[in-house]
Amino acid sequence: MKTREIWGVEINAVSLKALLFNPTMIMAYLLLAVGLYGIWEVFGERYFLLTANAFDAGLHPGSSEVAEAMKDAVFGAGGEVKREQPWTLYIVNYMYMIYSGSAIIFFVALSEIFNVKLIQKTAAGFITFGLAMVLGGLFTIAVDLNILHMHWMFLTPNVTAGMWLMLPLYLIYIPFVLFEIYLLITNKHDWAKKVAYGILLLSIVIDLIEYYIQAKLFNMNTARHLWTTYPMLTLYFIVSAFVAAIAIMILYSYFTYQHKEGIDFQKLISFLRKSSLYVIALLAIYEATAYLFIDKQWGAIILFGQFKLYFYAYLFLAVGLPFALEFNEHANKFWIIIGAISVILGTYLGRYVFVYGGNAFPMNDRFGMGFEKYGEYEQAKEFIFFSPHASEIMVVIGSLGVVLAAYKLLDTLFSVSKIREH
Amino acid sequence: MNYAMALDYQSCIDCKACEVACKEENGVQLGADKQRIWVTRYESSVFGQPFSAFHPSQCNHCVDAPCVSVCPTNASHFTPEGLVMVTQDQCILCKGCMEACPYDARFVDDKAVAVDKCTFCYDTRISQGETTTACQATCPTKVRLLGDLDDEKSELVQLLKKRKFFVLKEREGTVPKLFYIYPEKDEIFARNSIGEHTTIHTWESYKPILDKAVAKRREA
Repeated sequence: MKTREIWGVEINAVSLKALLFNPTMIMAYLLLAVGLYGIWEVFGERYFLLTANAFDAGLHPGSSEVAEAMKDAVFGAGGEVKREQPWTLYIVNYMYMIYSGSAIIFFVALSEIFNVKLIQKTAAGFITFGLAMVLGGLFTIAVDLNILHMHWMFLTPNVTAGMWLMLPLYLIYIPFVLFEIYLLITNKHDWAKKVAYGILLLSIVIDLIEYYIQAKLFNMNTARHLWTTYPMLTLYFIVSAFVAAIAIMILYSYFTYQHKEGIDFQKLISFLRKSSLYVIALLAIYEATAYLFIDKQWGAIILFGQFKLYFYAYLFLAVGLPFALEFNEHANKFWIIIGAISVILGTYLGRYVFVYGGNAFPMNDRFGMGFEKYGEYEQAKEFIFFSPHASEIMVVIGSLGVVLAAYKLLDTLFSVSKIREH
Repeated sequence: MNYAMALDYQSCIDCKACEVACKEENGVQLGADKQRIWVTRYESSVFGQPFSAFHPSQCNHCVDAPCVSVCPTNASHFTPEGLVMVTQDQCILCKGCMEACPYDARFVDDKAVAVDKCTFCYDTRISQGETTTACQATCPTKVRLLGDLDDEKSELVQLLKKRKFFVLKEREGTVPKLFYIYPEKDEIFARNSIGEHTTIHTWESYKPILDKAVAKRREA
């Protein structure tokens, strides 16, 4: 393939057709189309929903639109964000994508420093995929926010707020990771190793701050006691992110390096399999002890209530099945791949149980007399159970398109998945 | 000034007049789960006798409000009068404040596409020089009393000096300013309507906590 060199970077001279209409990009477009339809639906409900307040009837007497909106306010579903369930699939996906993506970058930087040859050879591909996942997560959170007001992040910033603090961190982190990819694909391995220390340090700072801030926010929410009572929430986020990250690396390796020359695929998979076992064991230890500390009412609905199927499916898929499949040192790659897919699905389900389970009680126990209902207009419910809205699911599917498109564009242009000898 | 509110919750008859008045006064989005203030009902049985209590509530306008510190755009902020407010045009709907509020006092206003909460009728009444909120004015049993904690002669401070009271979730350290009047003359009602871990305060015991938190906030 012909290449052009700019600042030492070899750029593949591919046609626009090869760049934008290869099978992976077409798959990405399909996923993005589903995501865009989801955004259309979400924005329709968010910005164009008929809503009414008490002033409207006076300001627009006789308006049939106001009458319709008032009727919908009383008898309808109640707008985009339900008071009983403000945290939805967006936050599940955001946490999954960003945590797992940055965990991949962290793991690769660590391997670079410890001279793990197998990962050094494949580092650019892994890091690029990790970065693409971070972008997929940021896409989800961008859909969740009111983008029409985003400029206030810069006009009236509260720089001590956790969410604002993450902004400059990501503004440093993402270019830094891109710089590491640059060093890797230009074969500046000595520099890449030096920068890897920076990446590792930044990854530690970013991951810890990100995991800590998110854990702290969940922890503050005494209205949702499941989150408050989870012991060492930061640790849980780290461990589960690493479990997911290594499984994603296994699956990525299968699709990318299985038939590539210059790398012993079997050894790579075997190394990732061993790493996977360690973190799965850590997650198992956490889950085995965590429920001793969780609020008993909340624990009961997760372990024995309406969430039990999800919870046990999570444990089976993220811990039990992959551990059994990957424990054998001579495990067939087919079973390792099945184990990795199982972990990916299971850890996602784990995030789902965590977020949706936390929403499960209608209100908090402020008077110490048990969980309160919002009022007598509400139906009496012991706990509430929501399924994600179709448009949220579509946005999540769209985020997969973002990941695929971002990765494939970089790979087509810069061959990030090429095996590079150190 | 430091506005706060006392609630003689034993007098609440759950007529919902306050909820209606609030929606009417402040143009709150219609819908049962879109409320700035609400009354929750607690029911149980005491030695076979039915027991019920009503718990009226709203934003606690905490002195150390976690919703303000987590807001990335300063949309949630304090007014000089010690009220916690939301500038809806600045809200990016990150819902961090809803996550941080221990009282679940915030919700999303779908009309403004922003978070909404009780303002003690700041825009419609307090900033115009009035001294009552809509919920207080409409209450037939005089549950609520708004007042200035900095004014020792205010009706509110006088009441708090005279009666014991408690605040919600004190252990969260938010220093809330909704003071629930302890039903001293009805021990059975008190025992059955207040959580056993709740601290019952007097003005002397709560004032130092309040002063310390106010001083800390004003320094910041």
